[in-house]
Parts: sequence; C-alpha cells; structure tokens
Amino acid sequence: MKFPEFVGHDKAKLALILNAIDPRCGGVLFVGERGCGKSTLARLFPEILPEETPFVELPLNTTEEALLGGVDFEEAIRTGTRRIQSGILSRAADGFLYIDDVNLLPADILGLLIRTDRPIVASMNVGEAPISPHFLDRFGMAVAWSRITDPAQRTAVVRAAMGTAPPAVRDGREDALRTLVCNARNRLAGVSVPPPVEGYAAERCLESLAAGHRGDLFLRSAARAFAAFHGKGEVSQQDVDAVIPLVLDHRRRMPSPPPQEQEDRQPPPPSQDRSDRAAQPPDSAPAEATPSTADDPADFAGQPRESTPREQVFDVGEAFPLVRLHFRRDRLKRGSSGRKLKTLSSDKRGRYVRSRNQGSLRDIALDATIRAAAPWQILRGAGEILDVRADDIRYKQREKRISHLSVFVVDGSGSMGAQRRMIATKGAIESLLVHSYQKRDKVAMVLFRKDHAEVILPQTSSAHLASRLLRAIPVGGKTPLSSGLLVAYELLRRVLLREPETRVLLALITDGKANHSMTSAPPAEEVKKAALLLRELPFTEFMVIDTERKSGLVRTDNARVIADQLGAAYFSIEDLKSDSLVALIRNRETTLKEE
Amino acid sequence: MIFPFTAIVGQEEMKTALILNVIDPSIGGLLIMGEKGTAKSTAVRALAELLPEVPAVAGCRFQCDPSGALCTECRERALHNGDFKTERKRMRVVELPLGVTEDRLVGTLDIERAIQKGEKRFEPGLLAEANRNFLYVDEVNLLEDHIVDLLLDSAAMGVNTVEREGISFSHPARFILVGTMNPEEGDLRPQLLDRFGLCVQVVSVREPELRVEILRRKAAFDDDPATSSRAWVEEQEALAKRIVQAQTALRSIPPADEALTRIVRITAALDLDGHRADIVMLKTARAIAALRGKPAIGPEEVRDSASMALRHRMKRLPFEEIGKDADRLQSLVAAI
Repeated sequence: MKFPEFVGHDKAKLALILNAIDPRCGGVLFVGERGCGKSTLARLFPEILPEETPFVELPLNTTEEALLGGVDFEEAIRTGTRRIQSGILSRAADGFLYIDDVNLLPADILGLLIRTDRPIVASMNVGEAPISPHFLDRFGMAVAWSRITDPAQRTAVVRAAMGTAPPAVRDGREDALRTLVCNARNRLAGVSVPPPVEGYAAERCLESLAAGHRGDLFLRSAARAFAAFHGKGEVSQQDVDAVIPLVLDHRRRMPSPPPQEQEDRQPPPPSQDRSDRAAQPPDSAPAEATPSTADDPADFAGQPRESTPREQVFDVGEAFPLVRLHFRRDRLKRGSSGRKLKTLSSDKRGRYVRSRNQGSLRDIALDATIRAAAPWQILRGAGEILDVRADDIRYKQREKRISHLSVFVVDGSGSMGAQRRMIATKGAIESLLVHSYQKRDKVAMVLFRKDHAEVILPQTSSAHLASRLLRAIPVGGKTPLSSGLLVAYELLRRVLLREPETRVLLALITDGKANHSMTSAPPAEEVKKAALLLRELPFTEFMVIDTERKSGLVRTDNARVIADQLGAAYFSIEDLKSDSLVALIRNRETTLKEE
Repeated sequence: MIFPFTAIVGQEEMKTALILNVIDPSIGGLLIMGEKGTAKSTAVRALAELLPEVPAVAGCRFQCDPSGALCTECRERALHNGDFKTERKRMRVVELPLGVTEDRLVGTLDIERAIQKGEKRFEPGLLAEANRNFLYVDEVNLLEDHIVDLLLDSAAMGVNTVEREGISFSHPARFILVGTMNPEEGDLRPQLLDRFGLCVQVVSVREPELRVEILRRKAAFDDDPATSSRAWVEEQEALAKRIVQAQTALRSIPPADEALTRIVRITAALDLDGHRADIVMLKTARAIAALRGKPAIGPEEVRDSASMALRHRMKRLPFEEIGKDADRLQSLVAAI
C-alpha cells in the first residue's frame, strides 16, 4: 500500500505531511482504537519524507545502550581505541523516531526519550497502560483514531489492505506528494507570521489552559508548515485554526489520554483548583483524609462534571468505568517518567534495560562486559581469547511490571440483607473488578458472615472467576468484621512474603455494624486492633465502601470510623450511585501526579 | 513419528482454521480456547508434518524465502553474489516455553563469537526459528506481559527488529502463530486477542462412539506407528495436494464487491473495533473458497468464516466469556 492509497484518516495524514515539511512540528502520537491502521499509516511516512531523511524504528526490545550508543567492541578489541557506536537516537538525527505501542516501552527508555528533542511518530492503543502527561506533552501533535464507519470507505480499507486497490491509483502519487513536501520545505523559510496572527495563536493556547510553552511553539511551526504546504507566503488565522485540533487537543489540561477503551471517548474531566480537591493522598493523616461525607454531598455535586460515563446494567447492579486507583508510591525504585506500573527487578525476570557495575554474578550483561574489556585487550596482550578482568564485569539491570493485588473484603451479614443494598454493593465490586481486569491486577476476595470469615477467592488474575463468585455471594447472619480484617491480613502477609514488591489495595465493603467478635473483647475493639495490624503492611492502601443507608432514621456511620482507623479513602454507597467515585478517584489521580 | 493429521477425530473447526492459515498465512494465526487433552498440539504438529517442503535460501539462519522479504544477512548475500542457492525445507513447529526470556525470544549477541573472536554477531532467537514455520504457544495468557507484547508486535509486522546489546538487526518473522488458552486461568487483553487472526473453541468429543474411535486410533498408533500410519497415507497425500492447490488458487480469487459488502454489513452490525475483523474475514472467506476449489467467494464462504474470525472480537460485557453470544452471531450472519 502507498501513502495516497491509505483510506480516510485525513487528520492523521495531514499531521504526517506537516511533520515532513517541518520536523519542528514535533512529531505526532496516534492514539486510538486497535486495528484501525495507525501503524500501517505511520510506516508509510518515509514515502513522503525527503530522500535520505532517517526514519528509525525503536522496537519494544530496545535497551538503554542501544538507544544512546556505546563503545564499539569490535573496533576496540582490534585497535584498542574507544569508538562510540551510534545508538538509535543519533541514527535518527535530523529525522524521525518511530515507536509502535509507545505506552508499552520500559519506563527507563521512556524517561530517556522525554529528554530528547527528536520528533517522534508513535502509536498507542487506548485501554492499555497510559502514558504520562509529561511525555504526551512532548508530542507536537496527537490524533485520535477510531474506525471508519461509512460502508463504502470500509470496503475500500479492506481492498487497500489486501493490496487489490484498482491499479489506476498506483500512479506515483506518493512521488507527487513528496515533491509537494519538498517544495513546501524550501518555501518554509520565507513564510512569515504576522503579529496579529501570532497574537491570535497565543490567545488560543491560553484558552486551552495548556501548561508551558510547548503548545505555542508547536502551533506556530504547524501553522507555518500548513501555510507553506498551501503555497502561501504568510500565515493566516485560518491556517492556525486548521492545525489547532492537531496541536492543542491533547494539551487541554487532561491527566492522560482516555483510559477506557470503548465508551470513554468523552472529553476528560475539567481540571480543578488545588483547594477544590476532595481526596488527599492516602499517606496523609487520617483526619485530613476525605473531609466530606455523604452528609455533605455538595462537595461533590457542586463540581462541574463534563464526563458522564456510559453505564451498563448487570444482574449485579451497575458497573461503571473507573480510572486507575493509585497504589501507594515508593519513590526509591520508580522511574522518573511518572508511570507507576514498573519497578526494578531484583531477580532474573523482567526486561534488560541497562547494565551497571554491581549485581549478581548469575546475571552478567555480556555485551557491556565485553565493551568494558575491549579497549584493554592490546594492553593486556590478549591473544585469541578475550581477556576479561573482574573490573570489566557488568551486570544486567532488569525491570518488571509491579504486580498489583486488589483484595475485596465483603460483608455478607444479614444487615446487608435488604436486597437492593446488596445489588448496589455487588455493582460497586463489579466496577472495581472491571478496573482490575483492565489493568491486569490480581484479585482476591474475603467474605465475612455468620460467625467467621474466609478467603473465598485466593489471589488470581482471573477476574472472570471473581465475577462469577461475586454473583453467588450469600447474605445472612451476624457481622464478624474483625475476623474479616484478620483473614485479609493473614492473606496479605503471605502474599507479601512471597512477592514483597506487590502493591495492594484492600477494599472493605461493609455497613460497619460489627456485632460478632472472635474473643471476649467488644467487636469494635477487635476491629480497631485488626485495623492497626493491617496498617503496618507495606505498600498497602485502603478503601472503605460504606453500604449503610444514609437516608434512613438510624445511621451509625461506623464504617467511617473504621475508615479512619485504617487510614482509608472513604466512599458511601450514595457516592457510588452518583458516580462521584469516578470523580473522586480522578481527583486523587491528579493530586498524585502533581505532587 | 507423528500421529497423522487426517486420523484426528472431530475438532473440525480447529483443523479447518489451521489449514486456512497455511493456505494464507497473512490471516494472522489462530487462538485455540479450551480444555486440555483435545489434540491441540497434536493437530499443529501433524499438519506441519503433512505439508510439502518449501524453498529457502541455502545456509540462511532465518529460512528466508528467496522470493520474499530477506534478513540483513541475505540482503548482503544478494548484494555480493547477485543471487543465492536455494534449498528445500520442511515446515516445523517451534514451541515457545512459558518461562521464555526476552533474549531468547528476539535474539541477542552471540556470546561465543564475541568472546572468542571479538566479533559482534546476532544470535537468532525463537522468532527467527519461527520464520515461515508454526510458532506454538501453549497457554499464551500465562506468558509475562512484556513477552506477549514483543511476540504479537513481531507477529503483526512480520519482522523482528532488534536493538539491543550493541546489535542492530532485522529479519523476517512471518510465522503462523498458534496460541492456546484456558480463559479461567487468566485473560488476554482485548488488544492482544485482536492480533490473532482466528479463534476457535474446542471441547472434548462427547459422542461415545467417537470417543471409542479416538482411543482405538491412538492405541493402534502407539503400538505400531509405522503400520497404522500407512492406512492414512492416501488421505494425507490428498489433503496435502488440496492445500497446495488452494495456495496457488488463492491469488486468482478476487475480493468481489458482493462478498465485501456482506462482510462489512456483518461487522458494522456488531460494532466491532477497528478494521481487522473485516480484513481477516475476507481473507478467511477467500481461503475457504480456495480450499473448496471455487473460483469466487460465495455467501457460504462468508458465512463459514464468521465464527472463527469474529468470535474473539465480539464486544463483551465485562467478564463475559468469549463465545457466549455465538447464537447472536450466527443468526445475524444468517440474516445478512
């Protein structure tokens, strides 16, 4: 398939053309639905680039040394001189980097990429790991992709993909396009931006609330390239308007591209003032956490919300899309890219990202070791075989995905019995399950009812299994809440012993009416003790979902007390019904990001 | 000796889906969902055994197709010698073990060469071995995430590009990816499911007579593989011939408007993501037509391609199992 044969997606094509004309446009990110041809189009880009312009692919298996370059050991062994072999970045000088599934790159590589100024053409699917706003900002342009719906065009897409487009189309139009691009490039230096248009562009950037000045710069370059492409000598307001969607849409103050894949194509929630934020990071003192309760719904309801997630109806109540729940951060090990999904690995598993001077003899980085030894070979008088000394040895530093575990501690007592209450509760759990599933977190479930608690689902990555179990959860009997917490504690202790790097979210779903204790102590006393135990667990975050009916005559707010004891984020079932949970968690996400 | 493909009882959809992938490898592989002990791996091995040899560049470490995409080394060979010798190779089944490392999968620096001769040379990984072969991944859903990402990335592009350990290398990686999974043991992200061309579900055979037949054939094979296989020679050869004929016929079957319109109507009604469904369905229908010796894609071929091409691409409610709304799919296809 040739560039002009690619059906539809004119916005994406325009973005590539403008970048071909002026690489200062800053590259482009294609974000969207899978299987729409994002990579296919990106791979056609070299056809319209001026000849000899580098277009270097950065594959997912890239290591840091391959990216930056390193000592060429062949040369070093032969001549004893250190010649630096060029890495991907220098090969892409004056050209473009190309990255497929950019969001799946290791955090360290992403961290390095943020610091380069090479324009990047990249693709990513939505519904998978998000990229940090910081990295997103680096892209001059972003284009959202979704499938073409017009039947005639769809047919044309298939034909093009099969390489059976009518032969008339293969008429060297891509050469014509390349000529247009080259002409525009030559004209570029002569294209001026009149002050009123500069002012207009600046205003539009301000309006978008984009952070920093990158947007202004990219907008200017894009508008100039657009004018040059249309053979004009001066940029007009129309030229600016034409490229605004490409340059500014992804800068309009949003935490990250839409994290949900099917329904969430709606705009992100508006940003809010720091003072407005209802939820605090979980590490803060419990007294400060979530100052608002259901008594005071205005705190949530008063905020403007553009996003109305589409809801789906289940036999277990309503599930709604959530954004990522954040796990407690540890600053020591995480990379700088803002992704919180990767950690350095201490065993041989995970991907090799770079070499270092210390490590385990069982995991030697041979390439780096040879590079270190190579320049000394002549001095050491090495013959046929490489002379490697202890000092030369380098070790692999690996990175692997942190595993996340969500534990649901569910109240199955009689007080939850009011049928509708349990339906809503199950809906809430289901929503959290959907979330865990999308993020590939593991889940476990503890149920407490009658006189004891049990692990009804040991940790598993099958959210399906959890969902099926959820449907079957029975209700009735007393509320052995402390027992539930203790069983969860035992479960977590075992998990953390085996996999100490696991991040845990414990969600307690209860009305808080503990009325059965394991010992002779009062139930509330036991709960308090269990909560203290749980809080000692590393990397564990808590969340309490209060199922008590707040509009009823008798309300105890016991679950609130337990939330405070746990240092947990607190949500009432009413919050859940009114999708405040979504907003709350989004808020929290922004808070964490800007910390 | 390998159990003859044509002696496998039942599992027709799986067998057909495998054959269609051989006829047109660009269909993009097969995901087999279901229980253990349903002849999944036997079927793949048996099919590879049955196929005739194919030409490959002599001495190439990547089994490059002389008339197809070439690896970095063959490109140099072609530059120096103008042409290259060819040899004939049989299709193999390369297995990807669950604990596979990134190095082993994509390839890495040849350590021996580096130490002994101070030379940088690429040591091919499993993706290289898999080029023009079957790549069989048992329990693909249990592989580490980043391994699956790398695997499916190469599978989609047909190329393995390596940038690591001082090595910058690329070679064709066009293989027929066959993955198996049991959804109860963990799921595969929808983005990854979509990368598998076809998907079939297998269950163990329920009919008592057929079960007895399976046992009988298996026992006969285990007792005396050579003799019992002889009974199948004719059928094996006939199938091999049909497949080769279909491979040739494929190119002359046009993607007719009528078939295309029908396909787009189905996928649009199901509101499927992206365009892969359309493309895979057409390729599958075309391969079916070729296998049936038909000159064009008819409505039956479109109908018969629907389940395997769309099963894993259907929109699902959270935690709904793959294949749950098979009936809806069938009635929709029948109506269009």
